[in-house]
Amino acid sequence: MRHTQQLNHVCVQGLIDRQLPEGGWPFSSHTTQSAIEPTALALLALPSSSVRERDTAVRFLLRTQNANGSWPAFSGDDAGGSGLTGLALFALNCCRAQGMMTNRAVRWLLESRGRESHWLWKWKFRTSDRHVRFDPDKFGWPWMPETASWVVPTAYSILALKYARGISQQDLVHLRIRGGVEMLYDRVCPAGGWNAGNGVVYGFPLAPHPDATALALLSLLNEPPNHFITSSLDWLERRAETCFAPWSLAWTILALDAFVRPTELLTDRLCSVVDPAKANDCATLAVASLALGRSHGPSIFGVNS
Amino acid sequence: MNVDRRAFLAGSLGLTVGAATTALLEKRKYHVIRKQLRSRVAILRAESYSHDLEQILRSGLDLFQLDVRGKTVLLKPNLVDFISGNHINTHPLLVSAAAECFRRLGAKSVLIGEGPGHQRDTELVLLESGFAEELRQQRVPFVDLNRDELVMTSLLASYTGMKHLWLPRTALGADFVVSMPKVKTHHWSGVTLSMKNMFGVVPGAKYGWPKNILHWKGIQESILDVCATVPVHFVIADAIVATEGDGPLNGHPRPLNRIVLADDPVAADATCARLMGLDPTRITHIRIGAQFLGNVCNERIDQVAEAVCAPANPFEVVPEFEHLRVTGSAQRDS
Repeated sequence: MRHTQQLNHVCVQGLIDRQLPEGGWPFSSHTTQSAIEPTALALLALPSSSVRERDTAVRFLLRTQNANGSWPAFSGDDAGGSGLTGLALFALNCCRAQGMMTNRAVRWLLESRGRESHWLWKWKFRTSDRHVRFDPDKFGWPWMPETASWVVPTAYSILALKYARGISQQDLVHLRIRGGVEMLYDRVCPAGGWNAGNGVVYGFPLAPHPDATALALLSLLNEPPNHFITSSLDWLERRAETCFAPWSLAWTILALDAFVRPTELLTDRLCSVVDPAKANDCATLAVASLALGRSHGPSIFGVNS
Repeated sequence: MNVDRRAFLAGSLGLTVGAATTALLEKRKYHVIRKQLRSRVAILRAESYSHDLEQILRSGLDLFQLDVRGKTVLLKPNLVDFISGNHINTHPLLVSAAAECFRRLGAKSVLIGEGPGHQRDTELVLLESGFAEELRQQRVPFVDLNRDELVMTSLLASYTGMKHLWLPRTALGADFVVSMPKVKTHHWSGVTLSMKNMFGVVPGAKYGWPKNILHWKGIQESILDVCATVPVHFVIADAIVATEGDGPLNGHPRPLNRIVLADDPVAADATCARLMGLDPTRITHIRIGAQFLGNVCNERIDQVAEAVCAPANPFEVVPEFEHLRVTGSAQRDS
């Protein structure tokens, strides 16, 4: 436990050292282009004592919100919006940074949807393009406008809508959350778990991925128990036995911990594979910090408020 | 055969859309010509993945007299995911052999870059496919192109209708780009060779996993736009064990025991297709690419090592691409 806390402290310091002057974090610490995913994850990972760093990160996120309420993928990106809008909103809400931006972001999330939800594409996927097994009636959120729904942006968006506070249009929010959850169940891999969002292609089951599975599970945390969730947790536990990559391992720990499954051995392994001094990827460092930090406090993704 | 009215209408509509799409694709939509008068291709025999690959590759590269002295060389392998037993990635031994060869040729720096389109955790793919250990031993730097710094780049062809793509600075800054595909069939594009391999420079951090915008804009069209914009200077294709059937992930291994080198991506892909028993002129991006990116006709390709030898049994493909297979008299003529 002590070692875990010490390592997390070093991870947090590594994040602070890598924060860019504008308040964001890049993916690669060799670059100076802030991106939304590492910034939001770092903001979630920083302890409340890092007041100045959190404050500049919050201000960076508020400043980069697009006029339509969405967030771009990175600083300078096109203004159409990205599938990371849910993550940015979730991070800001966790920091109690609410206000005008929340309603604008929620409104954008309510309007954003996978392109397969349009009647024309539904017809196409039902009649002529049936190689990927999915139900186009069950849609979530895309990575970028005018593309289909995928697991990770859908999971981020569900998390954002479930935990957003003080928002209007509750009925619509509830409807979109239910739709997103149904989409995740529809896209689950046959043996449990999720990948990008194609469970079966040309009749062959595709393998799930640990990070997508963990994120989907975190977004389903308060859903009634069912075999999709159980089989995915079981798959994630089995897969974790041979996983040594920090990003996947950290997400796995966060998900298993949120569902009260044992993670001690995995945490020990994460400690052995994370080297904050050499870590180049800020998003990975942030998720590792989140996974290590949950051992001495409630997991940010497990908060049921 | 019974054809009901709905099936007839759907079929007619499909044919009309298909014909219109083909006509649109054939229209000139490129703003750059990279095609050379003649192209050079070397088919090299390699029985297995071993440390002999460096020697084989070195002798093959000597045939091209490449001048990479003082240049930054980017090796772009095909890393999709790791599925034990499936030959879906360019083999790490071939990539490290290529890195060593380019260093010996005097490159200022050699680095490897890839942005997997399916798996978000690139480090997981590197660790489990054996790449991480090989790169560590050879001290070759790796750049995750999915998470690199991005630069807005005007497209030099307009088959997709997109005006620009955000592309990784590492790929744009390289002086010499080497596409290193795994030779595979592909259920959406027919084949995935050196041109399709360039999808890996399109960053997931902007376009997601998968890079779904490229599918919606048309895979064949996107291949042409990307290859027009990010020039491929050289190709080293891994056909030692290729993949047939439902590629890129669920195909079956098919040994060809060959490495294909080329100074032209279209000529490389046309040659690989012929080695697979497929007709390159029926593969849309190769056929259209031959207008401005390289040569597809045998008459314009100098085979500087082995001659092309089509297999008696063409590669298996999914039903939609059955027409690519060259069989019977067509095989003798190709």
